[in-house]
Amino acid sequence: MKSILGKNLGNYRTSYRADMALLNSRNKKIGMVILLLVIFLLPMFASNYFIGLMTLCIISSIGAIGLNILTGFTGQISIGVGAFLGVGGYASAILTTSMGYSFWIALPLAGIITAIIGGLFGIPSLRLKGLYLAIATLAAQFVILFIIRRWVSLTNGTSGMVLQRPTIGDFALSSNTSYYYLSAIAFLLSAFYAINLVRSRTGRAFFAVRDRDMAAQIMGINLFKYKVMAFAISSFFIGIAGSLLAHYTMIVSPEFYEINVSIQYLAMILIGGLGSVFGSILGAFFITLLPVVLNIIVGSLSGILTDLSHILSAFEEFVFGAVIILFLIFEPGGLAHMWSNTVNYFKKWPFSY
Amino acid sequence: MKSKKFLSLIIGLVVLVFMAACGDDADGSGGSGDDQEVTIGTLADITGATGDTGTPYSEGQDHFFEYLESTGGIDGLDITHLSEDYAYEISDAQRIYQQYRDRDGVSAILGWGTGDTEALRQQVASDQIPFMSASYSENLKDLDESPYNFFVAASYSDQGRMVLEWIKDNHEGGDPTVALLYNDTGFGRSPIDDIKDYAEEIGVEIVDEQIIDLAATDAQSQLLNMEEHDPDYGIIQQTWAATTTILRDADTLDIDTQFIGLNQAVGEGLIDQAGDLSEGFMGVLTHALPYEDVPGMDEYIEYLDSQDMTVDDINMQHVAGWVVAKVMVEGVKNAADSTDGEITGEDVLAGLEAIEDLDLGGLAAPVTFTDELHAGTEEIRLGIVEDGQWKAITDYDSYR
Repeated sequence: MKSILGKNLGNYRTSYRADMALLNSRNKKIGMVILLLVIFLLPMFASNYFIGLMTLCIISSIGAIGLNILTGFTGQISIGVGAFLGVGGYASAILTTSMGYSFWIALPLAGIITAIIGGLFGIPSLRLKGLYLAIATLAAQFVILFIIRRWVSLTNGTSGMVLQRPTIGDFALSSNTSYYYLSAIAFLLSAFYAINLVRSRTGRAFFAVRDRDMAAQIMGINLFKYKVMAFAISSFFIGIAGSLLAHYTMIVSPEFYEINVSIQYLAMILIGGLGSVFGSILGAFFITLLPVVLNIIVGSLSGILTDLSHILSAFEEFVFGAVIILFLIFEPGGLAHMWSNTVNYFKKWPFSY
Repeated sequence: MKSKKFLSLIIGLVVLVFMAACGDDADGSGGSGDDQEVTIGTLADITGATGDTGTPYSEGQDHFFEYLESTGGIDGLDITHLSEDYAYEISDAQRIYQQYRDRDGVSAILGWGTGDTEALRQQVASDQIPFMSASYSENLKDLDESPYNFFVAASYSDQGRMVLEWIKDNHEGGDPTVALLYNDTGFGRSPIDDIKDYAEEIGVEIVDEQIIDLAATDAQSQLLNMEEHDPDYGIIQQTWAATTTILRDADTLDIDTQFIGLNQAVGEGLIDQAGDLSEGFMGVLTHALPYEDVPGMDEYIEYLDSQDMTVDDINMQHVAGWVVAKVMVEGVKNAADSTDGEITGEDVLAGLEAIEDLDLGGLAAPVTFTDELHAGTEEIRLGIVEDGQWKAITDYDSYR
């Protein structure tokens, strides 16, 4: 039987290979091609400003995917994302500016260094759960920033460090468009990795740990290994995002990695959907674009009500808070869940039961 | 059902984002009529951590641009002024900066604090957009690192040096001892090394340093530590909130050290917050106080009259905002004289660097920029709180 969209209803696969295929239907393949085309052709149609915004969204998505691997997949909360972004950014700055390595070496190294440090801070997770772990990762936030501020000979202290845009041969990626492409490639690789991680042995172990770590241990899952591994993999992506962001803004300073950054990333995965790669991406776009949209709304309103702009300038904080509360109450599954609800509705239309 | 309604609301919102964002194309260049067009963008902190001082500072800028427009503007120049709140969030500053650069095509930016200034200094250099901020950090003077950054008042380091100079000249009885009280941020640490170096140079002894958080509600332990060294003076590099905490706890502990604040610790807001505790507190005055009778104040009062406001409605931060906008417009004017075409960031840079001894009518020390120095002045006044009001006790002077 087929739905009106021409999709097979029911399982018609005849081999394990077909069962494991990532793009297991024609619609998905077409969708993927369209998505890739949109991503890579976007700079031809969109304004420079829009491309800049998309670059920020994409870099946040990489970080959000990283955090979701830890918090959404493995169930280990972390409030230290801001500091880990800082580790990535500073690692990249030290490797390129102080030590003279090329960006192309510094980027993966920044990821690996952040993974190692993330893994270290993940060790307490064996003994600590829930709120206690949250506080332990909060400590990571403060300890790392403290070290960045005080280790002046390495990090230049509170005055920050300057970075350059990456180059390929003589060509510097200084334009918005070229940096967008770089970020987009990193983003696609991260998303592809994370989607596959979910389907692997490791991913299933992560889920088992999240759902009931005691039961997982009884089934033979090495809790220590997988918890630290979750911290390391998650931190790797956050480190990559930190490095990309640092080379984008061309400067790092401890003030960029304060606790509010961590909160913002947590909001991304909460609103996007815990335990969903697609959700992390939606959440990152949502949180990054929220102030832009509000600004446009407030801007168009202030044309009518001229004195309103001062009152409405605090509007953003208000909406930010309200959106999180509304999501927690009405759609704890986040944007990803809304999306799948919508898709399912159309898939089964008009006979939804 | 509820969740479906909510769902459609969100989808609607997302669609709106894309439609709105796609619709915004760059429209900064090109003009109508004969006037040269120039756009100046402000990064304001109204709702953020430093909103208490950021709000009047950005209002002062708005006031100046409104005043300029009400008096007919500048011949041959069509200045558009944009202002947006970034709430002291680096990510918002980055986003608004991109918007100013790519969508609005600004030729210059009026920034605010250490956060946005540091975050953007490398980008404004590569995009060639002059950036004038109220972060008076000495390291912005390094033109190899920050070639497009400007500030109009004396740097925190110069303020600190001047305070030491004053202490040396005015202290009675023995050698003066000084303690430094600051916070562990870029802003707090900015002048500390320079102050220590200068103290050594002129022979004033720094006996103690205490770190007090910007948002501290208690400073007793630090003040007790400081009291062991019993300094005659304490130089405070903080904002109003932490300064109030220090003054309150010093009063509780009966500490007789004379505290002297650098400019961020000074202003009417401190008197509002600290009340009687601020009596006798000294500080650096970088700008005129609104109730002072100086010639530069006349046009501000003219503007305020037109808005049914008086000098009681504004404070020193308003004046600072007014002054920074005035200096920027002066640079834009110079830029417009030098070119007939579009006024680029480079033109404004050259225009600002051509400013020499710009008389601000007593609103602030005269401002000079050169291609080697982007700090407008080294001169400050010292003031003291008497009867709930700041009073200047010296004239504009530099440590040199």
